Amino acid sequence: MKKALILMLFVVVFAAAGEEAIPAPDFNLQDIDGNPVILDSLLAKGPVFMSFWALWCKMCIKELDAIKPFFHEFDSLGVNLLAISQDKERAVPQVKPFAKSHNWKYVVVLDPENIMRELYNVQAMPTSFIIGQDKKIVFTHQGYKPGDEEKIIAKMRELFEKGEK
Amino acid sequence: MNGNRIILLAVLTAAVLSGADLRINAANTGGFWVFTDTALQYKEHFEDKLKLNAAYGDLTLRSVFFVWFPSLPASLVESLTYVDYTVAYRKAPVNFQYGRFYATFGRGMCLNQYLDEDFRVDNSLSGVKAEVELYKSKLTMLMGKPRNIFFEENKYKIKNDMADQIGGVNLDIGLIPKTALGGRYVRINTRNDLEPGAFTELYGGNLGTSLGPFELYGEYARQMGCYPIYGGRLSGSGMLFTGGFSIPRLGIMGQYMDFDSLGFPYGTTYRYNEPPNPIKAGIGVTRGVDEKGFGGTITFTPFDQLSCEASHNRLFTHDGSGGVYETVGKLIGHPNEKMEILAQTEYIIRDSIEAIFIGNQNVFYKKQELKPMLDLTYDLGPLYVEAGYEMGLYNVIAFVKGTYTDYDVSLAVGKTEFMVLTLKYGWRDRTPEWLVEKITREKSWPLAELSWDISNRHNLRILAGAMRGGVICTGGVCRFEVPFKGIRLTMTSLF
Repeated sequence: MKKALILMLFVVVFAAAGEEAIPAPDFNLQDIDGNPVILDSLLAKGPVFMSFWALWCKMCIKELDAIKPFFHEFDSLGVNLLAISQDKERAVPQVKPFAKSHNWKYVVVLDPENIMRELYNVQAMPTSFIIGQDKKIVFTHQGYKPGDEEKIIAKMRELFEKGEK
Repeated sequence: MNGNRIILLAVLTAAVLSGADLRINAANTGGFWVFTDTALQYKEHFEDKLKLNAAYGDLTLRSVFFVWFPSLPASLVESLTYVDYTVAYRKAPVNFQYGRFYATFGRGMCLNQYLDEDFRVDNSLSGVKAEVELYKSKLTMLMGKPRNIFFEENKYKIKNDMADQIGGVNLDIGLIPKTALGGRYVRINTRNDLEPGAFTELYGGNLGTSLGPFELYGEYARQMGCYPIYGGRLSGSGMLFTGGFSIPRLGIMGQYMDFDSLGFPYGTTYRYNEPPNPIKAGIGVTRGVDEKGFGGTITFTPFDQLSCEASHNRLFTHDGSGGVYETVGKLIGHPNEKMEILAQTEYIIRDSIEAIFIGNQNVFYKKQELKPMLDLTYDLGPLYVEAGYEMGLYNVIAFVKGTYTDYDVSLAVGKTEFMVLTLKYGWRDRTPEWLVEKITREKSWPLAELSWDISNRHNLRILAGAMRGGVICTGGVCRFEVPFKGIRLTMTSLF
């Protein structure tokens, strides 16, 4: 019972935590073609959307497939769309064939040691973030349910309407 | 107060006092379970993992506060609590870490201490790691003591001898365009070494290239050491080749591997290295000690409404006395924007991988499983519905034969951005008497799960009912999860 009370306390405390933008940690990784992916360089072009996914994660793939039709709209506006693979070293050879076969245009980033996951404190798969050009995380979303992509798309459009770019 | 806590406190204080550019983020996962074990006794499980990151300029402090309490008071001694921290300094071209860290060299044949939170595997090192990145090349040097935490049968356990010591160096060279060249050396000292000079060393190298849509990679590793306890020279080796072909809408990947006495430490259930495994279901045979395997996967999206995947993989001992054979076929169709249909079939043979105690002897058996499944998701706008049907046809052969079939139906109703309610019912047609120890006498497993997005950063999951249990495998590590019957509350938060 005592433990249940502690859990409830955590629920209340964390639920009360604010939704204000927090600074985005820096990163420097490589994409599946060996090109460097550096946060500062990306932000010089525009805001960043990134989704953490893995080959075993069915909902992650659904989310990235759902956002795929909007790729060109946001790419043309300067948004960087990243898919951060959390697959371990043993699965790394499968990532590129999988991403290409799904015709994803995202910048697919390899993170086999889960450095990004640690930096961004990702607790559930998928988790997606939108980082504004002021280097603040303006949107965070855990999990995916069909239709959630509309909220992500709306947030990215809102960023442009506010003149974030 | 010990030295580590003083360092932690000093770094936190310096970071907090330093003011303006301090960046802090945190995450928490807490869980509380009440469940019955196989003896139908009520048990409790409370765990919480708080991760707190603070960054100031080039300095970062990462800390993890973990508590796990099983039922009290009888199991109090089994509880696990720890505070981990890492102080990292990163300023190009140097990255320096002190405290707890993870490291994988190459594809993991020499060293693979990694974190897999999704399957509750936490294999880390505590010590020092330094990396230098220059001229598209990276040099890593590390020294630390390993800690391998594993979760099985609803308990967290530290599996390894934490007195072991690992030191290593890895060099990845990217100077030549489209070519990856690497070399590594790892030295491991254990309490079981018979004399100070009886350490184990692993070394190896890799070469990879990318030519247009083709990617090729090869890695070789060798182990030189001693058999634990009894002594005697132990030497082993392993090789891995992977090839990939990727063009828009088509991806092909093939791999071949051969490991002979490469898994380390020899004769234990944990590993500090973890050679790759072609089996998608994650089932290992001897985990790098005596394994040979190959596999291939083709993924094809002929048009946006349909994608297909076919895969065949094998992993077996050199004399063929045991192995795993896996064939997977998957089709995902989107007849329209609102609907997704997933059809998948898995056929897996585990030959002499699992054993059961019959008539005073441990008998290895062959298990064939055919698992067709169908899943339909329909988006109704503010709501969506997902319906699933899955079968598992099992044929288990020892000196007797046992067959049984598992069925599962599920229905999930979700409100986008808010809540998903999943109802699942599983049942089994029969239980062969000699397999009761492995699969229990249970015949039905009703389950309800509610996932509630309190906000974008907070999710609460409430699960009530029964789960089958069985073997869950990841990365060649399989664990037997006991059937679960009870209630679980899990809260994840980012803040």
